[in-house]
Amino acid sequence: MVNANLKNLALEWCVSENPKIAPGDYYCASRDFFIAQADNLSADLKIGGKINDSDAYMILAMIGEIGNNSFDHNIGNWPDAPGVFFGWSIDNSGAQIILADRGQGVMATLKKIKPEISNHQEALKVAFFERISGRAPESRGNGLKFVREGAKATKIHLTFISGDAQAELNQDFQIGAADRNIRGCLAIIEIKKR
Amino acid sequence: MSRPAGREAYLALSAYLIKDVDRQELLEIDFDGVKVLTPSWADEVITKLAQEFPNIKLLNTQNSTVQATLKTLRKYSDLKI
Repeated sequence: MVNANLKNLALEWCVSENPKIAPGDYYCASRDFFIAQADNLSADLKIGGKINDSDAYMILAMIGEIGNNSFDHNIGNWPDAPGVFFGWSIDNSGAQIILADRGQGVMATLKKIKPEISNHQEALKVAFFERISGRAPESRGNGLKFVREGAKATKIHLTFISGDAQAELNQDFQIGAADRNIRGCLAIIEIKKR
Repeated sequence: MSRPAGREAYLALSAYLIKDVDRQELLEIDFDGVKVLTPSWADEVITKLAQEFPNIKLLNTQNSTVQATLKTLRKYSDLKI
């Protein structure tokens, strides 16, 4: 089920020194484009009944939170290329959905209001568990907690990488070191057909 | 699905729907027909409505994203409904 090409394409874009080499079919430069693509994903997930409606809607909500985070936390402050990579692959065994950005990353965002965060793994743990907002004084910061609960409820597998840290979410939550250092964020959702 | 969309929705309903409504009236929020609700959108609408109207009744909350969103807002945004 894992589409290595799609994953490699996203990874290449994340770490490329030349971000202008954006994979056009998967590139959402603005939030409006991202939302429109999410609608397309909604239709694709339901075609042929590969994913039941309830799980499909929940997965879309999670995708919405992850993708909108990229825009919310980097607007006016993208280090180089704005926007997100948003691609998916669906076959008879299930689906793989990938979201990525070249933003500031979770640690840089959270350090603005919690300077004591000292590494990327700690930052991911805070982001997924603590009540904290990277856009304080605005009251925000519930999106990734929702994603964590959603991963449990839908029995998907989510790999979330930022910096040199990688979180694995399914029925459990584990944080470790990532193979590649990514300045922004990379999220890979894998759904097995049930 | 997004916070900006939620903020826009709240501004619109503030101008047209709840402008002259007594804050003590019972406000019913009906989720019938909702397919996807996210905490970002709902935090800009449901949480703010709940801060203005002490008497709110939520209807047709069966959808999984509605339930999960409300659970998240109750836990992380002090939603008291």
